[in-house]
Amino acid sequence: MRRTMFKLLSAVVLLAVLLAGCNGGAAEKSESTGSAQELVYATAKDINDMNPHLYPGSMPAQGMVYESLVEHTKEGIKPLLAESWDISEDGKEYTFRLRRDVTFHDGEPFNAEAVKKNIEAVQSNAGKHSWIKLSTKLLSCDIVDDYTVKLVLSEAYYPTLVELSMTRPYVFISPKDFINGGTKDGVNGYNGTGPYKLTEHKIDQYAVFEANENYWGGAPKLKKVISKVLPAGETTLLALQKGEINFVFTDDRGTDSIDVEAINKLAASGKYQIIRSEPMNTKMIVANSSRTDSPVHDTAVREAIWYSIDRDTISKQIFDGTEKPANTLFSSNVNYANVELKQRDYDLNAAAARLEEAGWILEKGSELRTKGEAQLTLKLYYDVNSSSQKTQAEFIQSALKKIGVQLQLLGEEAASIANRRSTGDYDLLFNQTWGLAYDPQSTIAGFTSEASYYHTTSGIAQAEELYKKIDQVMVSADEATRKSLYAEILTLVHDEAVFIPITNGNITVVAPTSLQGISFKQTQFELPFEQMHY
Amino acid sequence: MGAYIIKRAIISVSLLAIISFVTYGLNFLSPLEPAQLVLQAQGVPNITVELIAETKASLGMDQPFLVQYFDWLTSCLQLNFGNSYVSGKPVWSLLGPALLHTLQLTLVSVAGIILLSIGFGVICALREGDLLDKSVRGVLFVLASMPAYLLATLMIWYFSVQLDLLPTSGMTSYRSYLLPALVITLNYAGIYFRIIRSSMLSQLNEDYVLYGRACGLPERTITLHILRNSLQVAVSVFCMAIPTILGSTVVVENIFAWPGLGTLTVNSILGRDFPIIQAYVLVLAAAFVLFNMLSDLLGAALNPKLRKEL
Amino acid sequence: MNLIKNMWKDKLAALSLTVIAAIVLAGVFAPWLAPHDPHEVDMELRYAAPSWAYLLGNDHLGRCIMSRLIYGIRPSVLWVLAALAASVGFGGILGLIAGYFRGITDACLMRVCDVMLSFPGYVMSLAIVGILGPGLENMMIAFVLAKWAWFARMIRTSVMQYAESDYVKFSKAIGVSDTRIIMKQIVPVALPDIAVVSSSSFASMILQISGFSFLGLGVQAPHAEWGMMLNEARSVMFSRPELMLAPGLAIVIVVMAVNFLSDALQAALDPKLLRSKPQPQRQEFSRTAKLRGEEVA
Repeated sequence: MRRTMFKLLSAVVLLAVLLAGCNGGAAEKSESTGSAQELVYATAKDINDMNPHLYPGSMPAQGMVYESLVEHTKEGIKPLLAESWDISEDGKEYTFRLRRDVTFHDGEPFNAEAVKKNIEAVQSNAGKHSWIKLSTKLLSCDIVDDYTVKLVLSEAYYPTLVELSMTRPYVFISPKDFINGGTKDGVNGYNGTGPYKLTEHKIDQYAVFEANENYWGGAPKLKKVISKVLPAGETTLLALQKGEINFVFTDDRGTDSIDVEAINKLAASGKYQIIRSEPMNTKMIVANSSRTDSPVHDTAVREAIWYSIDRDTISKQIFDGTEKPANTLFSSNVNYANVELKQRDYDLNAAAARLEEAGWILEKGSELRTKGEAQLTLKLYYDVNSSSQKTQAEFIQSALKKIGVQLQLLGEEAASIANRRSTGDYDLLFNQTWGLAYDPQSTIAGFTSEASYYHTTSGIAQAEELYKKIDQVMVSADEATRKSLYAEILTLVHDEAVFIPITNGNITVVAPTSLQGISFKQTQFELPFEQMHY
Repeated sequence: MGAYIIKRAIISVSLLAIISFVTYGLNFLSPLEPAQLVLQAQGVPNITVELIAETKASLGMDQPFLVQYFDWLTSCLQLNFGNSYVSGKPVWSLLGPALLHTLQLTLVSVAGIILLSIGFGVICALREGDLLDKSVRGVLFVLASMPAYLLATLMIWYFSVQLDLLPTSGMTSYRSYLLPALVITLNYAGIYFRIIRSSMLSQLNEDYVLYGRACGLPERTITLHILRNSLQVAVSVFCMAIPTILGSTVVVENIFAWPGLGTLTVNSILGRDFPIIQAYVLVLAAAFVLFNMLSDLLGAALNPKLRKEL
Repeated sequence: MNLIKNMWKDKLAALSLTVIAAIVLAGVFAPWLAPHDPHEVDMELRYAAPSWAYLLGNDHLGRCIMSRLIYGIRPSVLWVLAALAASVGFGGILGLIAGYFRGITDACLMRVCDVMLSFPGYVMSLAIVGILGPGLENMMIAFVLAKWAWFARMIRTSVMQYAESDYVKFSKAIGVSDTRIIMKQIVPVALPDIAVVSSSSFASMILQISGFSFLGLGVQAPHAEWGMMLNEARSVMFSRPELMLAPGLAIVIVVMAVNFLSDALQAALDPKLLRSKPQPQRQEFSRTAKLRGEEVA
């Protein structure tokens, strides 16, 4: 009997050792980042589904693997997979001449047929892409010859090229990876045309991207990029300190994973450098004006929240001065956004006065304002992975409490918050504008899209008018008309206070001091890894 | 013995059936309409009443409850737990690997617990009341009173940062197992150590010990007998340690970024990804029942007296 | 009363009891004891070092850590106690009924308990929080739902033992009503057992509930809770490790005190428990109580 027991115990121990040994070998290599041409970055979330025509995937990862026809740069739209293009007089036809030296990672040629198949795959799932207005205006994609395609639109649409330059959905995956002739049911592989190919993916652990030696733009110097899943915060900092990872950046959800003070300390040690991009977006609280049963439907309440945010303190104390206070939805350096708008500085008295005026009364002895039966209670959703959002939320909550407004804070996963935004199941939530490449046109187009800000904007008094103006501005060919229309749109949403700005955010990169060639794209969602080298 | 196994198996199977029923019923605790959640998860922007009805029909949610339940059960038996609301992937493709990773961590930890608790339990029982006994008991007592997250953070701080010996997180090599397993081991060793120690102590007072001593048997032989008898209790206890720890690694996994069940479940809760939560409960409850059966069978194999119960 | 006297002789138990009583009182009288409003934000004092006005310093929003620690007793200890009381109360009544009346009621109740107990407790609470959504109330509901069956089972075992004793049989024979027997003869003698079972669960519940808050599934901001305070401190663990000290110590002290107390209760109940040849029933009882009760967070 003793032997049975002994056997049993040793079996458990042995089994444990064996199981533990199983994955020892395979992953050992990613533990140290010593090798010369390798970069390991931390990400709070798995890269997820890399299908470029859907939205769950990680954008920095998709940006490495897939490419679009044209590229959005500081100097405007530049060629990428298309060498050149023509736009017809009436603005309804775009003819692209494709590069001839491009192949997908699986060796398939990139040609007019591949373009047509990809664009049709995107269009067949149009409901998902309604935020990108091009998807509603694209009539057909015709093959002119092997390396020329023509896109036909239902009407002139000035941001066409900008929308074609985006990280998704108008990017190209090898048609061999299609399932059922399309991509909406998933894909078989992730062969794009970009400088890196996905070679290994362990869900919730890491993903390895290796340099595409046949890249048409020349093989990248950085041979390997590994994306490693780590919980945000101190774990990431530790891994950075120990060299388990050597690169961190503000991810596509705007999550600042590391405390500012901690990064500064780390950089002071000399092993790492901090590089910040110019301001890229506006971080804000989005108010759901369409929710008629909630106080947030009331403009005065939204304005009061606006007045109750002490942006200077947030900028100075929470962001240590790295992000500047924002007073408007778009900072004035964004195209068309240099508009004179009413300044609403931090002023609790003004906030309280605004509420009184609108009939939200603070009864004597009560801590909460009421209007008839309704209590002034609002729910604010924040991303649990972002410690700065939580701190800001608590800070704003305490200010609002002083004027009799109760803010309930709820931390959720980013995906769940995105769901809430698209279904309108929220009062307030943290969000950010989409970055230089997308502002203002895409963000504003997003006002009408249910997946984005429809619920935010649809409850305001002049919603109809707003949407009409947005439709007009997108198809107007005249620069001056566009300018004035944008000014009217921006004034309207500013006066309604549905987008409550907080700070202007940027991308922060923490990288080894020896890494060179770190630059930023116009979109806040990707980094040009192919330009980096040691 | 054969009859006992069959009886025990029947009980387990019926228990499993009821468990699956309760797990399915959990759905109805949710304040939200499942069809609406499915639509939200698919990112459908404008959810109308008609659309909800349509989705209900297409997912079979308009069927009678029992029909729905049996449909669900049959697909679960084929490891088809539906798709995640958030990522759209099949639940099993996420849960399967996570289960394996957690199982690995659990087995390493349980091995640690067994070694530690039997080792110290025996030594302390034999030297009851002296300094060693007291200090071991004291240390394990304090460790068991520590929240896992505090213990884990302290360990990371000491072993990974101060001494720079072990990786801080992730599951990259066998060295990654050490810290999380150590935290679990130290956290739980106290409980199992006490069981071993007190069962050793109670054996020490049994008549056969006195008799053995009276007959002049060498002390070693007596100790071995005591050990054997007290380990009988321990086998079933350790057997249950596996599913218990399997279900309690949540905090440790989250701290060490272990790609296991705990991390997956917490993320699913924060992302309101119900199919994963449901599958998680089902899988762990099944593991619990199976290990329970195993521990009873082992107990019966070791001690024929137990076979009569039931 | 003997029980308390026995325990009082044990110095450690007396100390533990004092510590717990002091903490509970501090939690109840938090508004009078706390030097500041625990929610008062002052960004100028962000991460300020301890001073005479703020004895333990200030957190990331400049809030008084001392006051937050004191208010934190409420969710971290008092609400846990309430959840414990609710599940012991509910489980206890069912256990009493099952153990006293036996028969079909007993069989049915125990089958339900079997099913509930085949879900690992922690998993069950996690699942219920997952489905109802994070938050203090939902977490409490989850713990009550997950734990009651365990108490029902334990209390039934204990009640059964007394229900078969001669004096109960005698009372029945002379026609004393069931309610009266339960109230006068069963409950008083079963209470110590109930105390042991619940005290050994108390510590693990404190750990688990603070663990939930640590993960962001429990108490929501801005309410102070020890697990959440630790989580907040953890994000600046290396720049300011001292922030972990206060809430960490608080939890360890409470849990240790509760554990000591629970041991002392057991010992007081049966001083010979550890030394003598135990009564089979009792040994079974306390061993399993330990096992199920103490799933560490």
